[in-house]
Amino acid sequence: MSASETAIADASKWRPLRLSGSQPFTQQQGVYIVIGERTNVAGSPKFAKLIKDGKYEEAVSIARQQVENGANVLDVCMDEGMIDGAVAMTRFLQVLASEPEVAKVPIMVDSSKWEVIEAGLKCLQGKGIVNSISLKEGEEKFREHAATILKYGAAAVVMAFDEQGQAAGYEDKIRICERAYRILVDEVGFPPEDIIFDPNILTVATGMEEHNNYAVDYINATRWIKSNLPYAKVSGGVSNISFSFRGNNVVREAIHSAFLYHAIAAGMDMGIVNAGMLEVYEEIEPELKVMVEDVLLNRRPDATERLVDYGETLKGAGKASEKKAAEWRNGTVEERLAHALVKGIDTHVVADTEEARVKLGRPLAVIEGPLMAGMGIVGDLFGAGKMFLPQVVKSARVMKKAVAHLTPYMEAEKEAKAAAGEVVKSQGKIILATVKGDVHDIGKNIVGVVLACNNYEVIDLGVMVPCEKILERAKAINADLIGLSGLITPSLDEMVHVAREMERQGFKLPLLIGGATTSRRHTAVKIAPHYSEPVVHIVDASRAVPVTTSLLSDESKPAFVAKHRAEYEAVRKAHASPKQPTVSIEVARSRRTPIEWRAEDIPQPSFTGVRVLDNFPLATLREFIDWSPFFHTWGLKGVYPRIIEHEEHGEQARQLFKEGNALLDVVIEKKLITARAVYGLFPANAVGDDVELYTDDKRDQVRERFHFLRQQANKEGSEPCRCLSDFIAPEETGLRDYIGAFAVTSGIGLKELCDSYRANHDDYNAIMAEALADRLAEAFAECLHRRVREEWGYGCSEKLSNEDLIHEKYRGIRPAPGYPACPDHTEKGTLWRLLDVKTNTGIQITESFAMWPGSSVSGLYFAHPESRYLSLGKIERDQVVDYAERKGMDVREVERWLGQNLNYDPAE
Amino acid sequence: MANRSAPRCVSANDQGPRTNNEDNNMKRAQHPLEKILEDRIAIIDGAMGTTIRTYGMKEADIRGERFKDAKKGLLNNGDLFSLTQPKMICDIHRRFLEAGADIIETNTFGATSIAQSEFFVDDPREHGGRKDPEFYSKIVGDPFLEGLAWDINEQSAKQCREWADRVATATGRQRFVAGAIGPLTVSLSNSPDADDPGFRVVTFDQVKAAYANQVRALIAGGVDLLLVETIFDSLNAKAALVAIREVLDEQAKQLPVMISAAVGRGGETMISAQTPEAFWNAVRHVKPLSVGLNCSLGPDLMYPFLEELSEKATVAVSAYPNAGLPNPLSETGFDLGPPDMARYLSEFADGGLINIAGGCCGNTPEHIAAIAKALEGKPPRKFGTQLTYESPAPPSEIASQA
Repeated sequence: MSASETAIADASKWRPLRLSGSQPFTQQQGVYIVIGERTNVAGSPKFAKLIKDGKYEEAVSIARQQVENGANVLDVCMDEGMIDGAVAMTRFLQVLASEPEVAKVPIMVDSSKWEVIEAGLKCLQGKGIVNSISLKEGEEKFREHAATILKYGAAAVVMAFDEQGQAAGYEDKIRICERAYRILVDEVGFPPEDIIFDPNILTVATGMEEHNNYAVDYINATRWIKSNLPYAKVSGGVSNISFSFRGNNVVREAIHSAFLYHAIAAGMDMGIVNAGMLEVYEEIEPELKVMVEDVLLNRRPDATERLVDYGETLKGAGKASEKKAAEWRNGTVEERLAHALVKGIDTHVVADTEEARVKLGRPLAVIEGPLMAGMGIVGDLFGAGKMFLPQVVKSARVMKKAVAHLTPYMEAEKEAKAAAGEVVKSQGKIILATVKGDVHDIGKNIVGVVLACNNYEVIDLGVMVPCEKILERAKAINADLIGLSGLITPSLDEMVHVAREMERQGFKLPLLIGGATTSRRHTAVKIAPHYSEPVVHIVDASRAVPVTTSLLSDESKPAFVAKHRAEYEAVRKAHASPKQPTVSIEVARSRRTPIEWRAEDIPQPSFTGVRVLDNFPLATLREFIDWSPFFHTWGLKGVYPRIIEHEEHGEQARQLFKEGNALLDVVIEKKLITARAVYGLFPANAVGDDVELYTDDKRDQVRERFHFLRQQANKEGSEPCRCLSDFIAPEETGLRDYIGAFAVTSGIGLKELCDSYRANHDDYNAIMAEALADRLAEAFAECLHRRVREEWGYGCSEKLSNEDLIHEKYRGIRPAPGYPACPDHTEKGTLWRLLDVKTNTGIQITESFAMWPGSSVSGLYFAHPESRYLSLGKIERDQVVDYAERKGMDVREVERWLGQNLNYDPAE
Repeated sequence: MANRSAPRCVSANDQGPRTNNEDNNMKRAQHPLEKILEDRIAIIDGAMGTTIRTYGMKEADIRGERFKDAKKGLLNNGDLFSLTQPKMICDIHRRFLEAGADIIETNTFGATSIAQSEFFVDDPREHGGRKDPEFYSKIVGDPFLEGLAWDINEQSAKQCREWADRVATATGRQRFVAGAIGPLTVSLSNSPDADDPGFRVVTFDQVKAAYANQVRALIAGGVDLLLVETIFDSLNAKAALVAIREVLDEQAKQLPVMISAAVGRGGETMISAQTPEAFWNAVRHVKPLSVGLNCSLGPDLMYPFLEELSEKATVAVSAYPNAGLPNPLSETGFDLGPPDMARYLSEFADGGLINIAGGCCGNTPEHIAAIAKALEGKPPRKFGTQLTYESPAPPSEIASQA
């Protein structure tokens, strides 16, 4: 393991279990290891029969299914009276080895007989797991077996069993596990991360009082092992726990999942459980969940009786719910399509659509009939706040698949009509584009999907679309509306440009404006005045449909436009109110952040220069994710984790969170995207409002210069006029200070991934992937910042949780060019040169200094304890002129880049 | 043999693992070769077979007195030269040592009862039979075959020992003898019978026993380390590694082990189709001195897989590729000449990928001399404390880019 990996792992006392078949398997922290348990003669009668009949190749197909269903490890057990275990184990594993899809996963050799285990070990080219050994036959045997396992190179499950028998209670469990651990690690030399304890999952709710605490004992023992026996893992046979409820699968499934929920939280790494006997924890019926947890957590003396009684009433209910689930298939084809659209189920949609087409005679009749009716329900539910964006996007996916099936028929019909000389009337056509220089499009994509759901024809021109192309296309297809999107501030100017051009070219269609930095105020004040037709700001995707509908309807348009114009006029009036009081730049400089410069506040970094991280592990980044913005992307406003419990949105948030994480699992597992970073630390001192970076520590040669701007607002009291350069030691102090810079991306491969989803009409996952990549990029910035704080020598002692990181409870800042502290995007050009970002990471900057791929973050590091984020606010012409001179730029150009911050109108 | 500082007897209890640092788990008391690998790139020798061919040996030469009555042709059983033409073999060892090899390999690639049976035992398949565990039960343990294997291993080890020590004394630089343990002609992972994928011609225990005899003989001949190489089938290699462990345990000895796989164009072991990282996971418990790739691919095709292995492995990494692809028109039978190999291996070094470099098939002493010269002064890959996901250069170099 590398030093850096160790550093991360040490922080949490964690080291992954590394195994292999023909492919490697590395455990991911916090991710439960799935063990395929159907290739076990004790657990699967079907498998047992195939083995007894000598049908090994058919038995292999069971293994294949397990792998296809996501098993990380295959448990193979041949312990059965009628089977010669060693022979069967050898034969089965040798047949498995010739099946490449199965041979890739590691094998768990499972037997209570040592000779069977050894036979199994002799068939594994990779590193598997032995299940199990214990102190049952004394220390000598235990040592001998462990040494043999180590000789073959396998991990081992160690049962909490000793000469006296099986450990039932907490004290016995931890005593035996600790004893076994010491022998394995200190005497045998067994790698501690390859020790997997099974502290015995024993049956609860047996009616015997002394069994009531068994689940609690296991969970507590698990927690103890994880915090006291470094790097050891914990496993268990889960189905034992519910043995009292044999025959009542509804209760058993609920018990299994509730038990796993608590055991995994305590640190359980893996377990043997029949995936078919597992309910989703969130979906356990609430009353049942309470009773099950009463039993598992031993919360009340009568818990068992209550669950038994309640369980009786549920018998057969499992089948009933299955029946209900399939019942919708019995409705009419219209009902089925509506159901599929509302529930977002795409399994049968092509068949149903075809059935409807045959029934209704014309493809358009299917769209205008059942499909639109279904989407109408979706629209109503969405409007009423009873459906959420992710669900709507899923509905859209179903709709798209249905429409894709019908398109060839419609084309044929259209051709036939055209041949007969008829005119075909189309629905509203909407052009969407992210403007030139900008690459952000998640919001735009969501708007596109929502509009498409409402039967508008959406022509999405993509990202970085120049004005000419947008307008050309709008003319060519005779569009009814144009929607512009952008995230970074320079895009606002580009939108103004598009509006002007539309005016000049005499366009007569409405213009919609959206994106993170756009605002109603900016649209009203800066864009709308340039174009005679309505220019409307769309705050989020949910507003896109009502606004579009109003604007494209002959009846409602006049009223909507009149109201809209009145509103925007009011906004402009409010904006014209007195400007912000400011001070001159000289006065502002005299009010710089007061810092007493002391050498002990200036850490000396462990390196200077540039470093590159390629293929950074996504699993590591995952731990740094701040999830709140993820929910915002999907229109769920709230703070994670509270949003999960939100009264109204909680259920939706949980669903979204689950699906986001499921996709993230796939992205990480299959390495679908690549994360790269470049960062550097450089000798630097402040000179005026600039920061000079030197080629080396002699500090006689300037390598680059960052130019910063100073707050000019005339603030009350002694509040300083801050500037980022205040946080770097001025040259005249003679102190040897440093500045850092970084750029990270998690967007390499993202476009291909999203394109592949879209090609499959799956906008939901495409948007999900983009949203996740954005989170990973921010997480990468956070993760890298932590590493840099350590390498800079002042962050080593901080012990911060992810939540602390999200709330920035650490020393130092990482402001980004283009954001409030230094709103001038062009400083990114300096950063790109300094770190050779393009060569080192592949991140490019557009003419508007947007980063491509979009899921990228860049910025500067300041380490001084007094450094803090700030918002530049409004600045005056005197500073702009001074800044332009410092940068060697034209004043007009500076004004163009800093338009949002000017406290004056450059045209005056 | 005065300067044989035989540092290889380290008591087994010295390597108790520590729980506070995984890398400590991987460490034994440091072998002098290990120290060298941290300081510079060590050189391992080139191809015995290729070089033998340049001496123009004939069937009669390899037979000598001892094998003059053998029924099958023996010219392709190059290990026998160590018994019948020791002068030539010693000359080759000397030339590789003088070319700059720190490590020379014994001429024992096929010196097991199982491999030798190909040359000395009737093939049952020629009489309608088949090779199966019953057949090999008569091979493994056969006094003639095991005795022959012992002689080759012990003699070759002694010859290497003598020349390594002579050149060491002459040059003042310690040299090491690696006991070469080859892949066998049978596979534990594959069935030769398309209708019966569960069939194996040989058992794990048979393979292990054959290897164990080879290991004992190599140790008796005085090797410094054991090299399990050209691994086509990871399960065969495992049998060799288990055999090594058992022999070392029975003799209470500790020799460093080097492990080297042969991968195909997809980067997987040629027969058992295991990826480099999966392979490393499967052998890391051995705490080898080094892990690496050799043979099969030429250096250019090997690069990405070596990179993967180098990224994952926590021990030293070795690479001794073939001199390109086979080319019957070239003198050595392979594409690349000494300058080409020197250039490619330099790229490995510049990429921070290797601690041990040399050549496999097609590499003569001239190739090794060129490689040794090209790598002189180049920093070795950092291991143990290396940052795995930093690329392309190790941190010390990156920092100096400032």
